[in-house]
Amino acid sequence: MRFPKFRRLSLYILLVLLAFMFMLPLWTCFTTSFKTVEDVIYTVPMEPPVSPTTEPLRTAFDIMERPLLNSFMFTLAAMILSCLLGSINGYILTKIRFKGSNTVFLLFTIGIFIPYQAVLIPLVLTMSRLGLYNHIGGLILTHTAYGIPITTLLFRNFYGLIPDSLIMAAKTDGAGTWTIYRRIVLPLSLLPFVVAAVFQFTSIWNDFLFGVVLARGAEARPASVALANLKGTTEFQWNVQMAGTLWYALPVLVVYMILGKYLIRGYMAGAIKG
Amino acid sequence: MRFPSQKVFTKDRIVTSLFFLISPVLVGYFVYVCIGWNVVVSLSDWKGLTPSYNIVGFDQYANLFQDPVFLTALQNNLTLILLFVPTSLSLGLFLAILLDLKVRAEAVFRSIYLLPFALSFVITATLWAWMYNPSIGVINTLIERTGLGFLKSGWITDPNIALYCIVLAIIWQFSGYTMLIFLAGIKSIPESQIMAAEVDGAYGFELYRHVVIPQLKTPALSAFVVLMVFALKAFDFIFVLTGGGPGYSTYVLPLMMFRETFSMTHFAYGAAIATILFLVSLVIVVPYLYLSFRREKE
Repeated sequence: MRFPKFRRLSLYILLVLLAFMFMLPLWTCFTTSFKTVEDVIYTVPMEPPVSPTTEPLRTAFDIMERPLLNSFMFTLAAMILSCLLGSINGYILTKIRFKGSNTVFLLFTIGIFIPYQAVLIPLVLTMSRLGLYNHIGGLILTHTAYGIPITTLLFRNFYGLIPDSLIMAAKTDGAGTWTIYRRIVLPLSLLPFVVAAVFQFTSIWNDFLFGVVLARGAEARPASVALANLKGTTEFQWNVQMAGTLWYALPVLVVYMILGKYLIRGYMAGAIKG
Repeated sequence: MRFPSQKVFTKDRIVTSLFFLISPVLVGYFVYVCIGWNVVVSLSDWKGLTPSYNIVGFDQYANLFQDPVFLTALQNNLTLILLFVPTSLSLGLFLAILLDLKVRAEAVFRSIYLLPFALSFVITATLWAWMYNPSIGVINTLIERTGLGFLKSGWITDPNIALYCIVLAIIWQFSGYTMLIFLAGIKSIPESQIMAAEVDGAYGFELYRHVVIPQLKTPALSAFVVLMVFALKAFDFIFVLTGGGPGYSTYVLPLMMFRETFSMTHFAYGAAIATILFLVSLVIVVPYLYLSFRREKE
């Protein structure tokens, strides 16, 4: 749409102002992470530090190191597992189909939206029965199971675009169901795998609820829980708190900057055929 | 397409079936069995660390509706929904329209507005704790430096406005997402329609009001459902930022469920709150899924 010059200018001023408001919390987190305690008190939060220091970042890293490692382990494992399962489901639900496959898909999809509060008590009981309470394995199993609904939806949407004739042709050549999946469907799946992986990585990494009910102990504590604890224990050390926040945010920020457009595709699919 | 009916037990089919069985088993157990189990717990009198499945019926639910704390939490949840959902939708629509005006560096602005949504609630809660800190936090410092000192406030430490502070922060986090959904909706309107309307003399915001916005019902509904479900189950952000306080001023149902269950070991009571949350979300989600499935079939 064309606009007179003056209105164009005010449009950009508005956009920049909004961008400033959206970035302000992150920007002050960044500046505060490099400040000494004195700088935190005597400088304006938005200002860069007067005497920059990496001390808060080092202090926070010492506290967050093990939880960050834990988070990486269960996030990557559950991401891979939920993507593989989602891919197989998407294939069966679009290309094989069976009696009741639509019902199965509907039941999966409801799983995307349920408030996890409704499963927390049985989940904790199950995990302690399995000996997976306070255990990386428990978090992997949990995040895999609750990730399946959304990855199935993502893969199903993509596989719906693969022409049935392609599958039919392979079938006439005598290829079986599994062979067709491995030889034909899987090689075409790079894009949905990237989308699902990026989506799962960020949502599992960002999780707090499952972490706080399943792994509060030091053995498997996720970075999200460690950061919440850090906030409780360093009440007046804003620089350390912000440094811890920065460490925990870093992997998602990197993913967002490099693979943001795939994450966006995941968000769109999550809104079911927007 | 179906499985060939003659050879039932080929190795190939067994492998596929086994792999496919994993997911229904996992989802079936962790979603549906667990929900059912939770309902059973909510009908029992389980209190304390030793499990009790002594079924007492709807006692917990009856108690809930006489519990002033529950009613406060329910009211806070409703306030949160009423303020958060419409505002996020409107702000997202506004941002989407701004970015649709053939803006240079649109992608940069879009990424900036969407960024908060990609971050963990624990991160955004920590960030806003620093923003709202009354003594040396960002907002009060900014206010003071611009000579508006009389606007300084205790923010999340003031029980009268703490809930609004939370709403503001989650609007900040979610409006980029609604923007994204609306932007995709706007982009999917055929260019020819826009041009036809322009020929008819529709211009500027008129064009949006009469041509574009009426066609955004589907994205608006998707965003609405996602926001509603979130507002209902919002836990992480509030737990980390205020923990429900000061007093019960920001206490919401998910927080109460967690506190009752895992801090006070009132398992049956907590399970009843969880069941209510589940039922309310079903009321929102099921009609929506029904509509989407029907639309897909057409």
